[in-house]
Amino acid sequence: MREINRREFVKSLIALGATTLGAGGLLAQAACGPGPEKAGELAREPSSGPSADQAYLAVARGGSPAEITQQAVAALGGIERFVHSGDDVIIKPNICVAYHTYEYAATTNPEVVATLVSLCLGAGAKKVRVMDYPFGGTAEAAYERSGIKEAVDAAGGQMELMANMKYRKTPIPDGRDLQEWSVYQDVLAADVFINVPIAKHHELARLSLGMKNLLGVVVSRNRFHSNLGQRVADLTSLVYPTLTVVDAVRVLMDHGPTGGSLEDVRQMDMVIASHDPVAADSYAATLFGLAGPDVAYVKAAAEMGLGEMDLSNLKIEEAQV
Amino acid sequence: MTAQRWVRLRQTVQYLFLALFLYLFILTVKDRWSPLPVDLFYRLDPLAAISASLAGRTIPAKLLLALVTLAATLILGRVWCGWVCPLGTLLDLFRFRRAKESANRVSPRWRQVKYFLLFVVLVSALLANLTLLVLDPITILTRTLAAVVMPALNYAFTTLEFWLYGFRPLQAPLAWLDTALRSTILPAELSFYQLNGLFALLFLGLVSLNLLAERFWCRYLCPLGALLGLLSKVSWLRRVVGPGCNQCRRCGGECTMGTIEPERGFASDPGECIVCLACLGTCPQGGIAFKGQWGLAEWRSYDPSRRQLLASVATGVGGLVLLRTSPMAHREHPYAVRPPGARENDLLARCIRCGKCIKVCPTAGLQPSLSESGLEGLWTPVLVSRLGYCDYSCNACGQVCPSEAIPPLTLEEKRQAVIGLAYIDQNRCIPWADNVDCIVCEEMCPVPDKAIQLDEVQVLNAQGESVVVKRPRVVRDLCIGCGICEYACPLNGESAIRVYVPNEFEYWELA
Repeated sequence: MREINRREFVKSLIALGATTLGAGGLLAQAACGPGPEKAGELAREPSSGPSADQAYLAVARGGSPAEITQQAVAALGGIERFVHSGDDVIIKPNICVAYHTYEYAATTNPEVVATLVSLCLGAGAKKVRVMDYPFGGTAEAAYERSGIKEAVDAAGGQMELMANMKYRKTPIPDGRDLQEWSVYQDVLAADVFINVPIAKHHELARLSLGMKNLLGVVVSRNRFHSNLGQRVADLTSLVYPTLTVVDAVRVLMDHGPTGGSLEDVRQMDMVIASHDPVAADSYAATLFGLAGPDVAYVKAAAEMGLGEMDLSNLKIEEAQV
Repeated sequence: MTAQRWVRLRQTVQYLFLALFLYLFILTVKDRWSPLPVDLFYRLDPLAAISASLAGRTIPAKLLLALVTLAATLILGRVWCGWVCPLGTLLDLFRFRRAKESANRVSPRWRQVKYFLLFVVLVSALLANLTLLVLDPITILTRTLAAVVMPALNYAFTTLEFWLYGFRPLQAPLAWLDTALRSTILPAELSFYQLNGLFALLFLGLVSLNLLAERFWCRYLCPLGALLGLLSKVSWLRRVVGPGCNQCRRCGGECTMGTIEPERGFASDPGECIVCLACLGTCPQGGIAFKGQWGLAEWRSYDPSRRQLLASVATGVGGLVLLRTSPMAHREHPYAVRPPGARENDLLARCIRCGKCIKVCPTAGLQPSLSESGLEGLWTPVLVSRLGYCDYSCNACGQVCPSEAIPPLTLEEKRQAVIGLAYIDQNRCIPWADNVDCIVCEEMCPVPDKAIQLDEVQVLNAQGESVVVKRPRVVRDLCIGCGICEYACPLNGESAIRVYVPNEFEYWELA
């Protein structure tokens, strides 16, 4: 066999490499179809409004976190209104730090989260994933410390560690300030996305409620703060949750969002639920003696037509358990 | 057992120890369960134990295990080097054919360098200095893995998976792989270490020395090898050459340490022999054996002399005086924020530069210092908050520190431990300089009553309108210096809030 010299070897190597890359690229393009980052619109249908016998917004109070969660969802027409057999469900509680147990009300009540997991699985969901992206401490530690991991595991859900690669640049077609941002793709692709914030104090936003909780699905969220109200509303227009369940079992009245002192916590034993994230937040604001327009992102979202801020014309069902 | 079996056994043991070392390194993660202490190799390291005890004027309990290594050496010789040391095993993997030849050109006199380094380490330790433990082989390997290899692997994997994730069919397997790797080997986030390039170069240099001679590092430089070599001068197990030797020179060709000398009847120096047993099978006469005998081995020309001892004392003392009289050492170090509970003086006299805290810190905030604490504090841990904050839910550094340079605080104690104080740069802080709200630092502050307060001030904004802006202010009595405010400050480049070493800390006192 003829020996080849180095120059020839390099040449054929380059040729081979170029062919492989070209073929690979073509194949990949054929295999991928429109990737999630190209879509930019919701894969899931926005939940339809309530029928005549269903509440637009439900408030349950008085019982255990599990009872009032079930009650509130029942008043909306039951979980079957939102979750169908075979659905891929993502539940997004607020697990912002790994510092304290849930009693300190910096993180969502584990029982509320676990109840939603059970309801979804009961409605035939294919899988139910629970996730958040803490800013203080590791996700692993925060899942553990909040008590949410234990409760979700017991209920049959999966805690997902949010992977960096799943944040992709996504256009925000209806955004007024943000035209695009890196957003967690699974949240966009899931059939059902349930937002389960805990109601708490926040210095800049005044309150951290449902829409503010959506910051957990984007990167570089500190860059949101220069125009927080509008940007949170823009984000809501993109990742629009199927259902919002505001945990107000224990409410952090001051030193939010991190908390750390039981003196700042007020027990309200209440859960607010609605398919409309604006209405849910607007109602939750009243727990702090405020109203929707006092919270910049609620106001901005209402102006964008993302939901009802004015609660006076809505069918609100309040249940005492 | 045949000679070949012995060599294979030794290699197996070497790989097992290397694997164990890597396994324990990977397990050095906050809250992760480990079947063995993650600092096992440090506990076994007599150089770390002796110098830390001398410098700290107390024997760290965890390091007592090093007595096992000392005892093993007194009986078996430098088996640590030949059978256990993970750096030695790595160097065995990088064998170059040309090294056999070039080794002859390296004068045996170079062997004394390691003894010289050992004495300088010990003399400095007596003077409460541990800087030269950066030359301990376990610290070299840990530091290189923690600050160079892991971040590089993590970066490579993270960018690759990000790219591959663009292809739909790969998404499900990638998601599975990502979860699997990040809950075991890789950290959840990318991490960045200062001096990573320097560490990489130093390590490459150390391996490249193998081109000059096999195990160049172990033969000529390693201070731990020197300590064990000195003990091996009286060790029990000795290599003996039988009377049948016909001077075929094969045994010398196999010796990685190059200590088999034809001109001495193919005898070897127990201080240099690492008991690798490679020579056993080479002798066609079957004349090489390892047998027990007591007594002091012959003192060689490269072995420590009184003159060398004096020279190393002079170097140690003189070097330290120079280090400590440089302005770098005397001036106060505004950014040398230490891990919780570690005071500057204690840390310098106790830190063995092992790099465990740097590996375990979940935010990669703990970094090897270069000049932040003077050259004497070389590669001791400092918190660089812009790279990573001190996690309010973490006390891992104190738990893994083998020499108690970082005290093992409980989480409650750690939350009270003030490591620094935050100061706001009003010239750059958004609400101060631009009259626009921000509050990220306040939001991040983990202290229950918030060490950053916001003052509402009526100001004119850029459009000349009168607006109310919330300006952050640090409450000195509450701030613990965790640095999450500095980490999260949304300004580009340098943060507008920075953590400094508190004024009341003592930096310098006559030791």
